[in-house]
Amino acid sequence: MDSLFRTINVASSGMTAERFRLDVISQNLSNADTTKTENGGPYVRKGVTFQEVLNNTLSGTSQFSGVKVNEIFEDDAPFRLEYDPSHPEANEEGYVEYPNVNVLNEMIDMITAQRAYDLNASVISTAKNMYNSALNIGK
Amino acid sequence: MIERINRIDSSLIQKNQNNTEKNTNGLNFQNMLKDAINEVNNLQNNANEEVVNYVVGKTTDVHQVIVAAEKASLSLRLTTEVTNKIVEAYKEIMRMQL
Repeated sequence: MDSLFRTINVASSGMTAERFRLDVISQNLSNADTTKTENGGPYVRKGVTFQEVLNNTLSGTSQFSGVKVNEIFEDDAPFRLEYDPSHPEANEEGYVEYPNVNVLNEMIDMITAQRAYDLNASVISTAKNMYNSALNIGK
Repeated sequence: MIERINRIDSSLIQKNQNNTEKNTNGLNFQNMLKDAINEVNNLQNNANEEVVNYVVGKTTDVHQVIVAAEKASLSLRLTTEVTNKIVEAYKEIMRMQL
């Protein structure tokens, strides 16, 4: 029974991963102008990396079983500097450090995540259709 | 000369019964069906659990709830399909002219 549902499980793990990526993107977007964090300094853009998941079977061979979130990394690109002496976070020269978040890039990432989520959903519905056609043989 | 009919030996019957039991051991249709129904039941319980988890906020993934429900529905379809086939075959045998 498990092998029939493996495709669905793999695609479902992909959907979970893409949803998590959207979480990170929304965190980046909502903090696009945050100049203060708990660690001091402006918000640092977060990114996410994925990792393949293999399940080891009893016979010693490994079976693919989807994807998982590997880590959340911090982007080390330089901060955006803006001249605004009236800002409370401005330095001696009057410049304010803004986060290294590029809203356009985040939008592109968002579209990518949405498309990938849709793709995984189509995989699930294709798998479902295939299963149903197999069941329809008996009719 | 007509040969005398032997009395049915009870040990012979027992032997035959043992043989049929040995043949069906492990591959019993009853057990197979029972296993399949158990599997469907488990999947439906999983689906229920996912719904409850989603409602109380343990899982935030909507697709996992739907996938669990879909799995339960597909396996239920498979089981009913197999059962229908068996019942059909049984009816076919019952219709046989003796």
